[in-house]
Amino acid sequence: MVSEDERFELRVKFTKKGGLKYISHLDLARTVRSAFLRARLPVWYTLGFNPHPKFNFSLPLSVGTSSECEFMDIMLTEKLDGSKVTEMLNAAFPPDLRVTDAYYPTTKFSQIGWAEYELDITSPYASDELAGRILDALDGDINIVKKSKSGMKPMNIAPYVRNASCTFADGKLIFRVLLSCGENTFVNPKYLIDHLEEALPTEFADADYTTCRTQVYYDDGVTVFT
Amino acid sequence: MRIPEKILKKVEKPGRYVGGEWGQVIKDKKDVNVRFAFCFPDTYEIGMSNLGVRILYDIMNKIPDVWCERAYAPWTDMEDYMRANDIPLWAIESSDELREFDIVGFTLQYELCYTSVLNMLNLAKIPLLSADRGADSPIVVCGGPCAYNAEPMADFVDIFIIGEGEYAMTDLIDEYRKYKSGMSKEDFLHEAAKIEGFYVPSMYTVEYNPDGTIKRYVPKYDDVPMKIKKRIVADMDKSPFPENLVMPYIETVQDRIVLEVYRGCIRGCRFCQAGMTYRPVREKTVETLNEQAKKLAENTGYDEITLSSLSISDYSCIDHLTDEMLKWTDDRKISLSLPSLRVNSFTKELMDKISTVRTGGITFAPEAGTQRLRDVINKNITKEELLRACHVAFAGGKTQVKLYFMQGLPTETDEDLDGILELSRDVIEEFYHTPERMKRTPQVTLSTACFIPKPFTPFQWEAQCDYDELIRRQRYVVSQNNDRRIKYNYHNAAVSRIEAVFARGDRKLCAVLSEAARRGMRLDSWEEFFDYEQWLDVFAAVGIDPAFYANREFGEDEWLPWDVIDVGVSKEFLLRERHNAHAGKTTVSCAEKCSGCGANKLGGECTWCPKTKDSN
Ligand code: SF4
Repeated sequence: MVSEDERFELRVKFTKKGGLKYISHLDLARTVRSAFLRARLPVWYTLGFNPHPKFNFSLPLSVGTSSECEFMDIMLTEKLDGSKVTEMLNAAFPPDLRVTDAYYPTTKFSQIGWAEYELDITSPYASDELAGRILDALDGDINIVKKSKSGMKPMNIAPYVRNASCTFADGKLIFRVLLSCGENTFVNPKYLIDHLEEALPTEFADADYTTCRTQVYYDDGVTVFT
Repeated sequence: MRIPEKILKKVEKPGRYVGGEWGQVIKDKKDVNVRFAFCFPDTYEIGMSNLGVRILYDIMNKIPDVWCERAYAPWTDMEDYMRANDIPLWAIESSDELREFDIVGFTLQYELCYTSVLNMLNLAKIPLLSADRGADSPIVVCGGPCAYNAEPMADFVDIFIIGEGEYAMTDLIDEYRKYKSGMSKEDFLHEAAKIEGFYVPSMYTVEYNPDGTIKRYVPKYDDVPMKIKKRIVADMDKSPFPENLVMPYIETVQDRIVLEVYRGCIRGCRFCQAGMTYRPVREKTVETLNEQAKKLAENTGYDEITLSSLSISDYSCIDHLTDEMLKWTDDRKISLSLPSLRVNSFTKELMDKISTVRTGGITFAPEAGTQRLRDVINKNITKEELLRACHVAFAGGKTQVKLYFMQGLPTETDEDLDGILELSRDVIEEFYHTPERMKRTPQVTLSTACFIPKPFTPFQWEAQCDYDELIRRQRYVVSQNNDRRIKYNYHNAAVSRIEAVFARGDRKLCAVLSEAARRGMRLDSWEEFFDYEQWLDVFAAVGIDPAFYANREFGEDEWLPWDVIDVGVSKEFLLRERHNAHAGKTTVSCAEKCSGCGANKLGGECTWCPKTKDSN
């Protein structure tokens, strides 16, 4: 039996890119599990009938969105150096999954308040002028219908959207925005896209875009979460 | 990536299409001379689990200037987007179009995948007919279990690889290099046809009798063989086995290490094609297996290992093997699983030892309901053995048993069908005769398939029951079953009938497949896409009677479409076994006595076979 004090919770910060962004959290968890075994990482296993390693992800990330700052907390049975774990995991992770940092945390995931996203939008209509109209479309109320287990719920997400900016460069629109990550106020970037597609149907008809979570902040939306 | 993001965002399970998995092989195109697209004519989840693909992917990619990539059948949502946006089928690793490859290879695992093969070629914009593919098209090769009689695919395929592919693939690539350095396709195919195990259908013309049966095969050149001999791996211990696997992100049907313990089968079930075509039995040693398992576990991070073979408990060192493996698997939280247990090997010791046997469901395959019929099919297990095994399972805390049966077997009567239910009731009775049983209601689930006469089996000459009769027999069992503890499941008889047509098909069926492809039929192994009426319509449209193939008893002196292939097991043996079947006589396993099937002439390090003069 392993007692409580022989467990060490380590926070792993990682990026999720390429094909991997189409992999759900559940599937990512399976990938991480097998990587633990490949890396021979001294992970702590739950006790009982069906032992399994324990780890938590910071925020949900929708399928199709890549990320430069994901976190997961893992449980070790040895207090290894963060840099050592980074090295071990990177040797065992697929190329689209990279550990950028690992440390023993002093904070909780529940302290995360905001996440920043970058959307690269390609559209035949991309221009400085369209960049302006996109920002206009986000001025005022942003009424969306939120799908949840209990059904469809209309909601104005404007209070949970901050610092939107949009620039036109190299034929592409770069749209940046801060979205709430609160438990009941979590805004999926998809809601903004849906809203923009509705507001600018012609311009978005042939648009393709990539979405990336670029930074995570505390409640104030200014201090970077660690 | 070739597929626009907005499409990937819309399709179901986009993880099927993006690659990037741990273990996938990426090469620099400038170092590559031969590009091979290994295609599986079904979804990613099914294809990723195939052991043959895993082995050959590894072998080919170990050749420095060969790059083997993977391709799968897209699901229908993706297919619709591909067609609407004019996106040709691509390979996962490089996302390059299939038509840019040198060789496009398909594995034929079941007859109903044929339409998907053609649909994939079509999606790849590769001409379907071998004759229409010139030097600018890839060479299309097919292998796998159905290649033993893939005459219905003869017009579409340049080369069939007959038998085990481990060494054949390197031969193919070597021959292809010569083609690439300046040879006509005809000359290339002619040369390939001389390599052992290479069946080049275009090198033979088929003549038919007025009644539609085959008169003879005429080779196009004097130097191509009259019979194509199956390739085997002589020494399984020395045979290449991957030390690494591509680790799928999304869940696949066999998401674990599959450790192949031996090839072949010592039994001789008379309906079973694999049991004959994989002969002779060649085992790996415990040392080799343990070593391979360890390497794979280390390199993949899988936490489950399945010991795989046609009948795992017949492995001569099964106890030794499981003991050796359990020495390290438990520590590493790796579970061992054993599929396909025979009733006589199901013991308390085994249940105690193997956790998946302890926790998983249990399945036995009596295949027929009465001893008489089990003797006919040479399924050498008795009611008493089955009940003993069930007793062990019930004492170990199980309450549910799954039993596999076949319906429509040669000589089957309603009495044999009654026997299926009687046997099930006996199993239920046994539950109540087990003092250590759980306080719960027992359940027997019957899973019954329809008999399909398969090439290279003693039953290859038998007719499949008429469709209506298959349905009647299924309804009969339903009507006779009044026990709620017995759940009766049965396969779709229409699917089995179409399988029977293609299993014993000849080249005339190429026209049927062309028409099916023209109509966009595919994914026929999926109930939701299989359309029996559509199939009947296709047969009618090309003027072919499916009953000629499925429901006709083939003549013992008839030239069979697969007579051009030599699988080792002789036709005389199969005929002898057929006659034994009808006489109700059983044949003992290879472990007890050699029954002279002929497979030992293929040579190899066989476990049970007597040596022959010409084996080496
Ligand atoms: S040659 Fe004899 S021992 Fe070998 S597979 Fe055939 S019947 Fe079995």
